[in-house]
Amino acid sequence: MLTLLAVSYRYPGYRRRAIDGIDLAVGGGEIVGLVGPNEAGKSTLCLVAAGLAPGSIGGAITGEVLVDGVHPTARRGEPVAGRVGIVFADPASQLSGVCGSVFEEVAFGPINLGLPVADTVERTRAALAALGIAALAERAPDRLSGGHTQLVAFAAMLAMRPSLLVLDEPVAELDPDGRRLVGATLRSLAGSGTAILIAEHDLDLLASLCTRLVALDAGRMVFDLPIAAALDDPRLIELGVRRGTSAFVVPS
Amino acid sequence: MAGAAMAVAVTVGLAALGTFDTTPDPNGIPAGSKAFMLALVIAVVVGFAAYAAVEWIQTRRLDSIARQFDTRTIVLIPIAIAINIVLGQAVGTALKLPVYLDSIGTILVGVLAGPIAGAATGLLSNLAWTFLLAGTPFGSPYAWPFAIVAIEIGLLAGLFGYAGVFRSRPSTPWPRLATGIVVGLVVIGALVWYGVVPFYRDLCALRSTPLRLCFQFFVDGPVPVDPLFIAIGVGIAVVLVVAAVAVAVRLLRDRDLGLVFVLVAGVACGVVSAFVAAPIAALVFGGITGSGTDLLVFAFQYAGSDLQLAVLQQSLISDSIDKTASYLVVFAILGALSRRVAGRFPQGERALGTIEA
Amino acid sequence: MALLTRLPPETPTAYHRLNPLTKAVVAMSTTLAALVLGGYLAPALVFATLVVPGAIAAGVLGRVIVVSAAATLPLAVAVALVSVFTRPGSTVLFEFGPFDATLEGADFAARIVLRLFVMASALGLFGLTTAPRAFIADLERRGVSPRVAFALGAVLDTVPSMVARARGVQEAQRSRGLDTEGGLLRRAAGVVPLVGAVVLGALHEVERRSLALDARVFGSGGTRHVLWAPPDTSRERAARWLLAGALLAVVVGTATGTLPRLP
Repeated sequence: MLTLLAVSYRYPGYRRRAIDGIDLAVGGGEIVGLVGPNEAGKSTLCLVAAGLAPGSIGGAITGEVLVDGVHPTARRGEPVAGRVGIVFADPASQLSGVCGSVFEEVAFGPINLGLPVADTVERTRAALAALGIAALAERAPDRLSGGHTQLVAFAAMLAMRPSLLVLDEPVAELDPDGRRLVGATLRSLAGSGTAILIAEHDLDLLASLCTRLVALDAGRMVFDLPIAAALDDPRLIELGVRRGTSAFVVPS
Repeated sequence: MAGAAMAVAVTVGLAALGTFDTTPDPNGIPAGSKAFMLALVIAVVVGFAAYAAVEWIQTRRLDSIARQFDTRTIVLIPIAIAINIVLGQAVGTALKLPVYLDSIGTILVGVLAGPIAGAATGLLSNLAWTFLLAGTPFGSPYAWPFAIVAIEIGLLAGLFGYAGVFRSRPSTPWPRLATGIVVGLVVIGALVWYGVVPFYRDLCALRSTPLRLCFQFFVDGPVPVDPLFIAIGVGIAVVLVVAAVAVAVRLLRDRDLGLVFVLVAGVACGVVSAFVAAPIAALVFGGITGSGTDLLVFAFQYAGSDLQLAVLQQSLISDSIDKTASYLVVFAILGALSRRVAGRFPQGERALGTIEA
Repeated sequence: MALLTRLPPETPTAYHRLNPLTKAVVAMSTTLAALVLGGYLAPALVFATLVVPGAIAAGVLGRVIVVSAAATLPLAVAVALVSVFTRPGSTVLFEFGPFDATLEGADFAARIVLRLFVMASALGLFGLTTAPRAFIADLERRGVSPRVAFALGAVLDTVPSMVARARGVQEAQRSRGLDTEGGLLRRAAGVVPLVGAVVLGALHEVERRSLALDARVFGSGGTRHVLWAPPDTSRERAARWLLAGALLAVVVGTATGTLPRLP
C-alpha cells in the first residue's frame, strides 16, 4: 500500500515544483485513477510513487513517501526493490533489449531480484498466462506489435509480484481486446491485495475500474473522491477530462 | 594528487634519460622525441595508478570510477558502440576519405559519463565489433588490435569533458574570442611544430632514384616536386579549407569560444592517437586499413620512409583530421541534446556547464 | 521444463556445442600465432590445424572461406598496391609508369595477406559457430558483471535497430521532399540531418530506458540465477589451458629467438 504525506518534488535543475503538497493513500485492493490535463504532474506522481523520483532521476523531494511502510527514498539510488511495478506509455523503451525471447524478457525482473530458477519460471508463466500471452513465450521481443509489446512489459512487472502497481497511460497502444485483458488483470490483482494507481486520459476505462478518482492540476490535487461522486463533479469538465473521449468501453 | 604523481614520474623519467638527445636516428627523428613520448605514456599510467591507489586507501572504494557507471551510462554504452560501428562501417566502405569516424560514440560517452566509462566504451566497442558481430555483415575481424587506441580516445575525451572543453560558450565578446582564437592557433601550431613536423624532415635524403621526391617545405635548395604529392596535398588541403571555412562561419556567427577549445582538443587527441595507432597498424596490418588513408602510406613510403615511419606520417595527418572532425560532431550533438537529458549523466553537468531551470 | 531447453540458441553440430570460451580461445590463439610467427609456413600450419578441422566438423568450411576472402580482399588489394610498388627492394619484377614492382614488396604483401586471411578465418569460424547471446551468458556465468553483460548484449539489438531507425528517418525525409538522390555533395549534406536525427533520437531514449531498467531492479548487485548458460566440460578447460600455454610458448620462443624462423 502507498502513502504520500505532503509530498512535493522538483526535477533536478528546475525551480518549479512538479507536484506540490500531495496527500494520497492507496490501500491494498484499491484501484485509484489519476486524471488531469497535460503537465498536471500525473507522470511525476507516478515516478515518485515508484521511488524512481528522486531515486533514479535525482531532484529534490519533501514530505514522506511510504510503500508498505518503507521509504523508497531511504535507499540510495534504488527504487523499492520489486515492491513497486510501473508500466509506462511507450512499449518499446520498456524492453530490456538483451533478451532473446519474451519468456526471458518477462523473467528479467525476477532474475534481478535474485530468485532461484524454479521461482522465476513459475512467476513468469503465471504473468504470461494472466495477460493471455503465453503463446508468445518463445517469440523475439523486438518483433512484436506495439500492443503485444505493451502486454509483455506489463507481464514483466507482474512477474515481480509487486505490492503496488503504478500505470502511466498504459493502454494507449492497445486494441479493445488488449484493454479488456488489462482491465480484467487489474481487477484480479486488486482482488488479491495489490494496490493500483493508474493515470489515464481514458475516463471510460477508469470509470469501469477504479474505486476512487484523484484529479491533479498544475501539480496540486484538485479532489480525491469515490468514483461515482468524482464522475459527477463539475471540476472534472473544467480540467478538460470528459467521458466518451474513448470509443472503447471495458465491460465489467 | 594524480597531477603530482604524474609530474614526479615525468621528472624522474627525463632525469633517467639524461639530456634531450637530438642526434637523428636512421629515420631522421631525434631519438629524444621517442623517448620523451614513452616517458609521457608511462607518466600517465603511473599517475592513474597513484590516483586509484589513494582513493582506495582513503575510502576503501573506487567511487569516482563506480559513479561513472550508473544505469544511464550502461544504457548509453551500447548506443555509443552502435554509433561507432554503423558510422565506421559506412564511412569505411562507402567514402574513400582520410577519415574513419568510428570513435564518435566513444568520445560521447567519455564526455558525458567520464574517462573510465569512455575507456570502457572503447574497449567494449572493439571487442563487440570483433567477437559479437563476427560472421555478420557488421563484424570486423580487424578491429581488436586497435582496442588500446579506442581506450585512449575514451580516456582523453573524458578528461577533456571533465575540464569543460565541450562547453558551448556562445556570444563571447569579440576581444575574448579573438584572444581565444589566437591562443588556439598558437597551441595547435606548437603541437604541430614540435610533435608532428619533426617526423617529416629529411624525407628526401633517403631515396636516390632518378625521380627525387620531396616535400618542398622542409628541404633547402631547388628540388623537383612529384605531381603525385601535389595531387594528394591539394586533396587534403581542399577538405581542410572547406572544413575550416565552415567552422569559421559558425565561429563568427555564434561567437562560440567553445569551438576553439574543441578544435584544439581534437588536434591534440589526433596527434596522441596517431602515436598509439601507427605502431599497431604497421606491425599487424603492414600499415594498411583498406580506407583512403592507404594512399598516404603509399606516398610516404615511396618518398623513402620505412614502413613504421610512413604509417606514422600518414596517421599524424589522417588521425588529426579524423579526431578533430569527430570532436566537432560530438560538440554539435551535445549542442543539440536537451540540457535536461544531458545533465542526468554522471559527467553531464560538468561537461556542459550548469543547467538553468 | 521443456521451454527452458528451447531457449538457448541452436547448436547443430558438436563443434557448435563447444563452450563459447573454448571457441574464442581457439580463435585468438590462431590469430595471435599467425601474427607472431611470420612467414608463410607457420600461418598456413596454424590455419590447417586450428581452423580447418573445426570448420569441417561444424560444416561451415565453405562459408568461412567465403567470409574470410570477402573481409581480406579489400585490404589485400591495398597492401599489394602499396607494398609492391613502394617498398624498397633490389629485385625489380616489372615497371608500371614511374613505379617499380619489387620482389621484396610482393613477398611482404603476400605474407601480410596470408596473415590477414588466417585472422579473418579464425574469427569467422568463431562467428559462424557461436551465438553471441550464448557467449555473453557464458561470460556472465564466469563472473563478468551483469552490467557489462547487459551493455554487450544490448549492442546486438541496437546495431540493427539503429540501421532500421535510419531507414525510417530517410523515408520520412524523402516523403517530406528532401533530396536524397543526387550528387555526392548533396548526399553528404543529406547525411548530416539523418545522422543527427538517429543519434539524438537514441540519446533521448536513454532516460526512459534506464528508468524502465531501474524499475526492474537492474544493476543492484547480488547473484542472478539465469535461466540457461552454455555448458562447460573439464576436457575443454584442459584444452583451453593447453592452447594458451602453447601460445605463450610460441610468443616467448619467437621473442627470445629460440624458436626457429620458418619460411
